[in-house]
Amino acid sequence: MSTPAITIENLTKEFTNPSVFSRGKVTAVENLSLTVEPGQVYGLLGPNGSGKSTTMKIVLGLVVPTSGRTCIFGRDSRDVESREAVGFLPENPYFYKFLTGSETLSFYGRLCGLGGKMLRDRSRELLALVGLETAADRRVGGYSKGMLQRIGLAQALVQDPRLLVLDEPTAGVDPAGSHEIRDLILRLKQRGITVLLCSHLLSQVQEICDRIGIMNHGQLVREGALDDLISIENQTEFVLENASPALLAELRERASAAGARVVCEQKPQQNLERYFLEVTAEQGGEKK
Amino acid sequence: MTSGNTRTAAAVHASAHKLFSLRRTAAIATNTFRDLVRQKVFYFMLVFGLIIIGVSLALASFSFQGQLQTVMDVCLGAMSVFTMLLAVLATAMMLPKDMEDRTLYTILAKPVSRFEYLVGKLAGVTMILVVATLLMTAAFFVVLHFWQGREIENLQLTEPAERAAAAISKIKAGTFTPTLLGGIGVILLRSIVCAALTLMLSCFATSWLFTVIVSLMVILAGHLVPIARSVWQGPLGAADAPFHIAILMRLITVFVPDMQLFNIVDDIAVGISVDAGVFLHIAGLGAGYVLVYLLVGWLFFAWREL
Repeated sequence: MSTPAITIENLTKEFTNPSVFSRGKVTAVENLSLTVEPGQVYGLLGPNGSGKSTTMKIVLGLVVPTSGRTCIFGRDSRDVESREAVGFLPENPYFYKFLTGSETLSFYGRLCGLGGKMLRDRSRELLALVGLETAADRRVGGYSKGMLQRIGLAQALVQDPRLLVLDEPTAGVDPAGSHEIRDLILRLKQRGITVLLCSHLLSQVQEICDRIGIMNHGQLVREGALDDLISIENQTEFVLENASPALLAELRERASAAGARVVCEQKPQQNLERYFLEVTAEQGGEKK
Repeated sequence: MTSGNTRTAAAVHASAHKLFSLRRTAAIATNTFRDLVRQKVFYFMLVFGLIIIGVSLALASFSFQGQLQTVMDVCLGAMSVFTMLLAVLATAMMLPKDMEDRTLYTILAKPVSRFEYLVGKLAGVTMILVVATLLMTAAFFVVLHFWQGREIENLQLTEPAERAAAAISKIKAGTFTPTLLGGIGVILLRSIVCAALTLMLSCFATSWLFTVIVSLMVILAGHLVPIARSVWQGPLGAADAPFHIAILMRLITVFVPDMQLFNIVDDIAVGISVDAGVFLHIAGLGAGYVLVYLLVGWLFFAWREL
């Protein structure tokens, strides 16, 4: 059996209330246990303040737990070595704005022990991967929100990590950029990289995650394989193409005769994001 | 990128972890240096340094004698103030800015220890201070050389040849001395101590403004350390001072750097020769302060919730 990418055991984190007038403890995470297997895309979901970011920070060793422990590929998160295998993209990241995109990647690469030709090649490769080749020599201070997110993703991938931790990777990014990031995550998944993802874009989570955990008030309230959690066991969906009214009427009759109930019958709608991307791509083509 | 489950050369290369890596520390240091240079903090301070040197020229031109002394006095004083301000201001903003921009998260999420981060940051500021001191020294020496030439010319015109020759050799021997270079070294060391102190304070402060104010107050209080020490160690002893005053004075001597130690530069500015042993003593104490502040800062930073 392979070592889990992330192990969280009985994790609890309490913060001291910063208010001068009401001292006391605020519980951000309470007795949380979960495992993320290698190669999985795991979505950690929950409303704001549910403890997702705190959990991520503890996994990355940025915050010390009150009790319990977290491990990355079997190594305690508090050990610096555990981060050799991790790439992290925080929510709304900002980098040193006086550095260029290429210098930014070079800096993070050197932190991971890379150097020389290997680092230069790696930086070029990643800039191409996230579509920032033409902006490589521009200072990060002049990057748009989407570009910042993409350079953030590139820095997270610089040492070719086995685990990627992404906190709202598409926050503030336009639909096209968001679509690209989603595709990139899917490509990383195909290459065997484990992804821990926090996102409020539930449609996107549904498209890319194998397994999800839902947190609320610091507790894990639901956890499991995405398909198991959201499929409705006693219902079946057909999508028919070129079905005649007569065939549809017959199906309704047969269903009724067999004791089944037609819950819904409608024209399937295409995804709004896909429609938007098609329209903008067409417009772009016309302008060219 | 990886192909299948095969890890790339980058991944394999990056996985040889050392407890303390000079490479990682150097990456943070050079990045800090580059960031500060591009923020033009350094150019701003340099311009101020040059303005003060210009003022020294103006002052010297009004005085009939001792121009060299005035130039030396003003320039060394200006260098002291600017390197100290540069150290405090550049250092105070580093940590809060990295936390606010979340760059600290991306750095510490790499295999970088908090100690390496702090050492790298201090090394980066030290690099800025070294370059600033070198540039100010170069400007100072150009001005000093100019005024040395003027004074020699003046002596040749106004004094009899024999007397002038003696005075000229005295001027030449007393201007660009090893003591002067030692004094500039002390100025640099003092600024590094100020940077280490500021970094330590920023490890538990919640805003850069608080860090700047407290750092400047501590540096100011540092000039009172010998007085504080005399209260509880002096001939009268702590017993003669009120209890709370004695405790306060004792705390000052323990936690506040003895900035009076570095005021040897004032003696050098008026031409007093200083023994090499004194410089070594100051260098040792300065290095001790830097080390202690770094370790105390790390203790705070290691447990700080990010």
